[in-house]
Amino acid sequence: MPGEIIKVDRLRKTYRVPEREAGLKASVRSLVKRKYTDVEAVRDISFNICSGEMVGFIGPNGAGKTTTLKMLSGLLRPTDGEASVLGFVPWERRANYLSRISMVLGNKSQMLWDIPPLDSFRVLGEIYRVPQAELNRTLEELFDLLDMLPLLEKPVRNLSLGERMKCELVAGLLHRPQVLFLDEPTLGLDISMQNRLRQFLGEYNQRSGVTVLLTSHYMADVMALCPRVILIHQGKLLYDGELTGLAGRLAPFKLLRITLNDMHAENCEEVLPKEAEIIDRENGNLTLRVNRSAAPAVTAHLLSTLSIADLTIENPPIEAVIDQIYQEGSV
Amino acid sequence: MNHRGGIALIKATWTSWLQYRSFFFLLAFGWMIPPLIYLLVWSTAAGEASIGGLSRGEFVAYYLVLILVNQITYSQTNWTVGDMIREGSMNRLLLRPIHPLYDALASEVAGKVVYLVFDIPVVAVLALVLHPEFHPTMIEIAAFLPALVFAWMLRFFWGYWLALLAFWASRASALLAIQDALIFLLAGQVAPVALLPGAIKTAAVVLPFRYMVGFPVEILTGQLGAAEISSGFTVQLAWLGVSLALTALIWRSGLRQHTAVGG
Amino acid sequence: MAYYLRLITQFMKISVQEEAAYRMNFWISLLHSALNLGTGILGIVILFNQVETVRGWTFPGTLALLGVYLIAQALRGLFIGPSLDALAGMDGEVWTGKLDYTLLRPADIQFMASFRRWRPFALFDLLLGMGVLAIALAQLHQELSLVRLVGFSLAMTSGIAILYAILLAFTAFVFWSPGVLFTWIFDGVFQMARYPVGMYPGWLRLVLTWVVPVGIITTIPAEILTGTASPAALLGGLAMAVVFVCVSSLLFRYAAKRYASASS
Repeated sequence: MPGEIIKVDRLRKTYRVPEREAGLKASVRSLVKRKYTDVEAVRDISFNICSGEMVGFIGPNGAGKTTTLKMLSGLLRPTDGEASVLGFVPWERRANYLSRISMVLGNKSQMLWDIPPLDSFRVLGEIYRVPQAELNRTLEELFDLLDMLPLLEKPVRNLSLGERMKCELVAGLLHRPQVLFLDEPTLGLDISMQNRLRQFLGEYNQRSGVTVLLTSHYMADVMALCPRVILIHQGKLLYDGELTGLAGRLAPFKLLRITLNDMHAENCEEVLPKEAEIIDRENGNLTLRVNRSAAPAVTAHLLSTLSIADLTIENPPIEAVIDQIYQEGSV
Repeated sequence: MNHRGGIALIKATWTSWLQYRSFFFLLAFGWMIPPLIYLLVWSTAAGEASIGGLSRGEFVAYYLVLILVNQITYSQTNWTVGDMIREGSMNRLLLRPIHPLYDALASEVAGKVVYLVFDIPVVAVLALVLHPEFHPTMIEIAAFLPALVFAWMLRFFWGYWLALLAFWASRASALLAIQDALIFLLAGQVAPVALLPGAIKTAAVVLPFRYMVGFPVEILTGQLGAAEISSGFTVQLAWLGVSLALTALIWRSGLRQHTAVGG
Repeated sequence: MAYYLRLITQFMKISVQEEAAYRMNFWISLLHSALNLGTGILGIVILFNQVETVRGWTFPGTLALLGVYLIAQALRGLFIGPSLDALAGMDGEVWTGKLDYTLLRPADIQFMASFRRWRPFALFDLLLGMGVLAIALAQLHQELSLVRLVGFSLAMTSGIAILYAILLAFTAFVFWSPGVLFTWIFDGVFQMARYPVGMYPGWLRLVLTWVVPVGIITTIPAEILTGTASPAALLGGLAMAVVFVCVSSLLFRYAAKRYASASS
């Protein structure tokens, strides 16, 4: 298909992890004979991405998102399967390939600590063979978009986390990569900085046409930036499509939180319709799970039959949604 | 003084350090090398003859004993005390109902046990290979033991008050580096004190460093006569007194400074 | 290639800036250098105060060897040590996981591992070593012919190459088992190179020549200056250097490749 620059076909990654048992006897035994278990981090994942797309990879921690990204950036070699990015096989790590991609890891810094950020940028510019004039132009543009001029004089260790993250993005973009891998870029940042960075990423994607693969366990990142999401859970790809579709299809239920006037909650069970499942009860507070379609009817019924002080209708948290998907096995 | 708490702490530290055996064995190996080098160089130099009254076998004996004595008296916690003061983790110790000295003691004892588990077999093997001439008498052994204990105390407290200077100056580790160099030269490592040339020898006999390592070794290997042993003890105990006084003094005023500034 | 030369210049510049960020370190380093020099020289002085020769080695000859040792340590501290340490040392990238970034760069991984970090202060140590060497040579009353100088340079180059190869191999091992302090062990063994290998008993001499060839790094260049080296030794050293560097580089590259497929 035209425009497809990332093609992934049945990628698989299995780790052999040594078993570690507690206790003295077990450790002595392990000196002589090591037992291994196979951990399947990524199982048979396939997808294609077109140039300029912003794709969000979501899923619980340990689902295999970062592993997938690391295989596509060439850091990991898969156990099986194929992938092609910009026409290259990523794990061959050709210099031509590496200079066209970039990866920013949210929890690890690539900046030199004791000197101002500009010096780190210059070295990176040399490493990526960016001509001086072009580097200056790119940096100016990035500094402007990120509002960074006051930061440039201070050594990196004196910058706040948010300011450092801005530097990380500049470091990742100064060689104008065609593909950007972002692993948890907003980790640990406060809300306003998260918004700031999302704004920047959206704008930059529009301007430059860079293809962005983003992992995050903050739904807000994905909702703000990625028209397309890929849901990965326990190494398997469970959903690949539009975010709006995901929200609609995967959250087929709502949570009703009720605060009763009367503290005695026992008798209300008979009153509840069978569609409503009680998930939690505490004193006079009930949490019910109801099918999306049944929610209005159940709500009306409860309001008329129980003495209710307060009632809210919520969307379930994404983790609960994903768990339920897993229990059901597919979408 | 909270003795029970202190002993419990020592036991706990020892158990946890035993887990990291291989790390500590490697450290011990590294510390063993310089005395070993001088053992080899001096014993080769002595060859068939003797140097300064010491035969090849006696050099071997001297250095093998030195390796063990050096390990027993080496005070690694001095390095960490300064760090603790600077990083503020000293505050945690100050809050405990036992004197921070116990923390240092705990790691001292734990460390030495683990290191010696490595050192003693290695020294035994070296002795088999290198054939030392070693005939200690009962009197020498009797004098050696207290000298060894005082040597450890002296090295520990001397290093401790130096490290406590971290209450004021940020780079007390520089002083410890100088101390290590002085110990190397004057405490009997580079050569038994008897073989040091003129002015250096005088300095070695007067300054505390020889009494941290070399003095007990010289006793046990029979290099000293009765008179030399007793004068040696006098100097050793005098320096021990000085370092105890300095430690107490600097601890008290350093503590005042530390808590006044807010840690 | 011009690309790699430009990178080295950049890396050197950055290292100077990083060093300058900590002023106090300069004086501490000065102190350590002075102490290292002083104790080294005094050790030899004290030894030769008691004897004239040790297995044929005289005071000036042994002093010359100390000079060579200091020069080798200085060159190691100039870029080989710091660069490899940045990768494999106690706070190195293998430990912190930042190795990912280095692997992502379009520059050769061995080049990055070897030339990335510089410690300009080591130049001072280099001068000290050369000073000691000069003093020793003056006392040796040896003719410093061109042939001898060339031989010395070749011997020093092979020595440094062997040193580099050994440290590179240790760095490769760190990819497999990050916990062990290989360089600590090596530092200990390398201390033995302060004294001529001839001063050690036979079995140790063999170990220090053929197993961990620290003896070759310092003894052969010193012997060339004192006129006691054989051409065979020089050629042997060169051959060993070539073999060591090739094997070590292959080992390192293999370890880096395998690391990429095992990390998480």
